[in-house]
Amino acid sequence: MRRALPDLLWTLLLAAAVALAPTVLKALFAQASVSYLSLASNAISLAILALSWDLLARTGQLSLAHAAFYGAGAYTAAILAKASGLPLAMGLPLAALTAALLALGLGSVTLRLRGIYFAIATLAFTEVLKAVVQELPTGLAGGAAGLNVPPLFRPHFVPGVMQRWEIAFQRNEAYFYVYGGLLVLAIAASIVTQRTRLRAAFTAVRTNEEVAAVMGVRPARAKLLAFVLSSALVGMLGALEAMRLGSVIPDGTFAISTTVFALVTPIFGGLYTTLGPILGAGVLSAVEETLKRTFAEGYLIGYGIVLVASILFMPRGIVGLFARLTRRRAAPPTSDVEEGG
Amino acid sequence: MDLTLLAQGLVSGVLAAGLYALVSVGLALAIGVIGVINFAHGEFFMIGAFLAYQLYVSFGFDPLLSLIFVAPALFVIGAVIYQTTIRYVLKAPELNQMLLTFGLSIVLQNLALVIWGGDPRSISDVPYRSVGYQIGGVSIGLVPLGSFLISLVLVLALYAVLARSKVGRAMRAVAQNRIGASLVGLEVNRIYLVAFALSALLAGIGGVMIAVIQSPTPTVGFAFTLKAFAIVVLAGLGNIRGILWASLAVAVSESLVATLVPNGDALRNAVFFAIIFIVLVVRARRTA
Repeated sequence: MRRALPDLLWTLLLAAAVALAPTVLKALFAQASVSYLSLASNAISLAILALSWDLLARTGQLSLAHAAFYGAGAYTAAILAKASGLPLAMGLPLAALTAALLALGLGSVTLRLRGIYFAIATLAFTEVLKAVVQELPTGLAGGAAGLNVPPLFRPHFVPGVMQRWEIAFQRNEAYFYVYGGLLVLAIAASIVTQRTRLRAAFTAVRTNEEVAAVMGVRPARAKLLAFVLSSALVGMLGALEAMRLGSVIPDGTFAISTTVFALVTPIFGGLYTTLGPILGAGVLSAVEETLKRTFAEGYLIGYGIVLVASILFMPRGIVGLFARLTRRRAAPPTSDVEEGG
Repeated sequence: MDLTLLAQGLVSGVLAAGLYALVSVGLALAIGVIGVINFAHGEFFMIGAFLAYQLYVSFGFDPLLSLIFVAPALFVIGAVIYQTTIRYVLKAPELNQMLLTFGLSIVLQNLALVIWGGDPRSISDVPYRSVGYQIGGVSIGLVPLGSFLISLVLVLALYAVLARSKVGRAMRAVAQNRIGASLVGLEVNRIYLVAFALSALLAGIGGVMIAVIQSPTPTVGFAFTLKAFAIVVLAGLGNIRGILWASLAVAVSESLVATLVPNGDALRNAVFFAIIFIVLVVRARRTA
């Protein structure tokens, strides 16, 4: 716990930055701040996705099921809004609950699968869940056409006081705060698992499950805990995104690209750390946006090249690159266990 | 149950299994011999399809003729990609290999999108595309039959190469023990290069056939990557012979559900992946 104070400090600093960002952006950029806020929410969304994936990967579970929990959360919120009288915001905790229960089920049957076998089993789970959701009664889940989701925030236009674009600003600002809140929650979850005995348990299970069991760690419990925590976070994210984007549809909501970005970002930023996935999300979002503005067509070619180059030139991600630069004279790290968060 | 329909489902499934096996066997080579988790494998398949399409549109080449050009082209593309990227991550963790090959996949897919656009492209008006045979109410298209036979011959040829030829023995030696193989004088890096290029070539030939069977878009590759991974894992890593049976099992079940269950065509993917999921989970319980 010796680093509890800096952790708290950084988290508070981040929370303050999130709290001030909309006001500062509005003062600086006026109308343009509307789209900046939306870009910021996209980046935060990627950070939550990446951090929650990393949380799970710390136990050695290379999941390709992130899209499944994201989709399960999104559909929970959508169906709830359509079929019940509950307030829309209740969709968030219930999405977390649905995703957590699904993760508990999936995690229990895949406990014995390792490496690529686990990865493919979780990928298969995603595809099956997508089909199940699509085959649910159309009256409930909308079938292949999906469902519309009401927005979480509906700011009202006040003539004379506000300008037209300020409606969009208020909406994006409100979402930005909720995304920021969820990110702080994800960071808190990540820090707790990094600064308590859980870190040793997770690392032991990842490095060698048999040895971990001998040392007194219960691998099944550690793996399931990580799975449930990670999925609850991403389930909530799915629900939130559904409300912000306004609809869910099987092919889009359960898209494999969600899973791909969830795993690419922490590797790019630095695995098994809190900072890595967040940095990765920030840098990759900025890279993507810059490329998109520079080359309208085919900008993803550049994005792919960045990914390829990153693994060739910084195999331990951004965080690993920093670590190498700051302790150049120290012995090179020999295993990922040493990397700190 | 309608017996003709059942027979039709069985026959279509067996015919589809050939292409699955061809694409998966290449991936199994990359995973089993080189030990690289290649999520860009399906892109070789996609490139094969679009090269065949381009040769057909520009020069009127029959897909069978274009095989002569596409196969070596894919061998070279595979070799170049191996030399420039893959060989640097051979000893890296699985996750680094995954990020690298996802990156490659994004690059290749979007290059194809820029060149050919996102619309489905197909080699539609070759004379034999509509030829088919009727045997006791079961219809067999010439194109699926041909692609099945070509795939089967190639897969069996690969098995023979691995079992008997010098290169094949070297590949198996390298797969079993990298250091041991280099100690007895095998040039490990060159064998990896050949194995990777060969895996790209096999996928590319599969792509030529899909351009005649379906109307692929540049995103067709990734779907096949995922399916090929599932088949390789179903057969068991390193078990290249098992690929044929694994492909047969999933292709036939997929086809049976599509023909026998009402509205079953939408369930093809679900059935495919449900089988993979159940087999993996059950097998892990048995062996533990």
